Amino acid sequence: MANILIAEDEMSINNLIKMNLALVGHSCAQAFDGNSALYMANSSRFDLIILDVMLPGISGFDLISHLNNTPVIFVTAKSGLEDRIKGLRLGADDYITKPFEILELVTRVDVVLRRSKAVSHSFEFDDIRIDFDCKKVFKNGQEIVLKPKEFDLLGALVKNRNIALSREKLLEIVWDYDYEGDTRTVDVHIQKLRKKLDLDKRLKTVYKTGYRLEV
Amino acid sequence: MRFWHKTYILTLLLFLICLNTGIMALAVYTYQKNVENTEASATAEQHYITRSFENDYNSMLEAGGMSNPSLLMESYGNHYKSKGIYLSFEKDGKNIYSGFNIEYSVGKNVIAQKKIDGVRYIFISSDICNGEYDIVYVKNISELDNEFETLMAVYALTALVVSLFLALCLFLVLKRLSVPLDKLRLTTEKIEKGDFSVRAEEKGKDEFALLARSFNEMLSKINEQMSFLEIDAEKKQMLVENMAHELRTPLTSIHGYGEYLEKAAATEEERILAAKYIVSEASRLKKISDILLDTAYVRENRFEYTEVSLGELVLDTVYRLSNKAAENGVTLNTDITESTVSGDKTLLSMLLYNLTENGIKACKQGGKVKISCADQQLTVEDDGKGMTPEQLTHITEPFYRTDRSRSRSEGGAGLGLALCKQIAEAHNASMRFESEPEKGTKITLVFTS
Repeated sequence: MANILIAEDEMSINNLIKMNLALVGHSCAQAFDGNSALYMANSSRFDLIILDVMLPGISGFDLISHLNNTPVIFVTAKSGLEDRIKGLRLGADDYITKPFEILELVTRVDVVLRRSKAVSHSFEFDDIRIDFDCKKVFKNGQEIVLKPKEFDLLGALVKNRNIALSREKLLEIVWDYDYEGDTRTVDVHIQKLRKKLDLDKRLKTVYKTGYRLEV
Repeated sequence: MRFWHKTYILTLLLFLICLNTGIMALAVYTYQKNVENTEASATAEQHYITRSFENDYNSMLEAGGMSNPSLLMESYGNHYKSKGIYLSFEKDGKNIYSGFNIEYSVGKNVIAQKKIDGVRYIFISSDICNGEYDIVYVKNISELDNEFETLMAVYALTALVVSLFLALCLFLVLKRLSVPLDKLRLTTEKIEKGDFSVRAEEKGKDEFALLARSFNEMLSKINEQMSFLEIDAEKKQMLVENMAHELRTPLTSIHGYGEYLEKAAATEEERILAAKYIVSEASRLKKISDILLDTAYVRENRFEYTEVSLGELVLDTVYRLSNKAAENGVTLNTDITESTVSGDKTLLSMLLYNLTENGIKACKQGGKVKISCADQQLTVEDDGKGMTPEQLTHITEPFYRTDRSRSRSEGGAGLGLALCKQIAEAHNASMRFESEPEKGTKITLVFTS
């Protein structure tokens, strides 16, 4: 997946971002101050830089002008409008405010990566290959026919793999925000996915939380 | 209506009334006096005429009988007519001779003034020749009225000219006098519109100047107070923002790792790491809350004063920080001249601990921190990275860090010196910072109480 540089001076938060992005398959490099972030950004290629605004040495706002065309997501402790606007005006692709949720981080990273086409359009695990462009799933090279909602559900699970998604969250992602469906709908579709793709060992039910695709 | 308008109108009115009343009174008095004088001279004249007539009448009687007294009367009448005096003689109410050809009636022995056809006459009647005849003396005194009218006209004209002149002068003078008041009013209007930089003019030594001076002083005080409040509000805003930042960082970690534990397909090692972060970040929150509570404790002044030995305080602090100093490769030196101060031992120990800990943090490997005490004085001196003058002005603000990017690699919440300042203030001690980048910092505490 993508190669991401995390520039954040707080060790605990830097590690938190790294651990979360690692779950969905991104590889991360870490920088703990502005100077080393600049050095790393210039010496190797990254698909995305997650940049803290308040970095020792060179601040995030100063740093962004030295980066050439690499997408940037700002991390700011202040939810202040000014900082966000300034970040976006300086050319950032998005921002995340502390505290953030795992899903929010993963989703924003995914959106920015997709915009810069750094994300692959297919995903493979075991004997299964998912083609997001033509919305098809193959098992052992044979196409398995999925209903549109089943495919969307699989897509959501893959994009947030290794992270437990609650039934409500899945309803929200797959069936849209306003869908007032029963969470049972999610269970039914999960069962179908498990059956069609033989995912019993991969698609796990997490106690009191939801479902998780472990890859 | 403006004050000076009122003053102007009232003063003018009062003056005009006084002036005209005065002039009128004078005119009337003069007229009265003239009338009296005229009457007196007329009486004297009539008396003289009467006496001389009686003399002539008596000598004529003695010389050989009086055939016709009316001849004598006529001769007198004609004689005095040319002098503007009309004489009439009567006997038993009947007119014998009349030099005055206008109808009149007058009693016996009276002095009267009458206006006949617009002309004023004085009438004096008396009996002569032992009551045998009556003589009536009439004189035209309309000259008196004419004089009075001329006088009044002159007076009125004078009064008019004087009044006009006065009105003009008073107007100019009062307008000139009210200029400072007007300026003051314009100044207050500017202030009302929010311009607090204006000042009233303080020219002269009168009440207006005094007022302007007090007004300016008041304005300066207000400005001072306002800027003080602004700075205070700014500081408080900074404090709140900083506090939010300080709290949000550990909260983000705790929340994030908690969620990670809940949702992620993580290995045992990753789970333990996440849990460790939760614990360490929670203890950071605890540290912040402890210091905030300490700060509140100091602010509320709930402490006990005892005699505290500064030497003991220094030794105690060195003992507690020796491990930390060793870890950082910093040497702690002491220079103790025993002295005691009155204060709260716990708080003073907290103060010295904080200052010394800061000194250790500022030092590189191999650095030195020297703690000394002497007469009512504590000094902590390090040869660490020092601070710029700009940083020095902020260091006692809560949550301020000299490292602008807020690196927490050295630990601490940025509250230490704010607390130290409060403790020092509570003990009436002055805390002085001397620092130079790359040379070190010296903090001197002098107890004045």
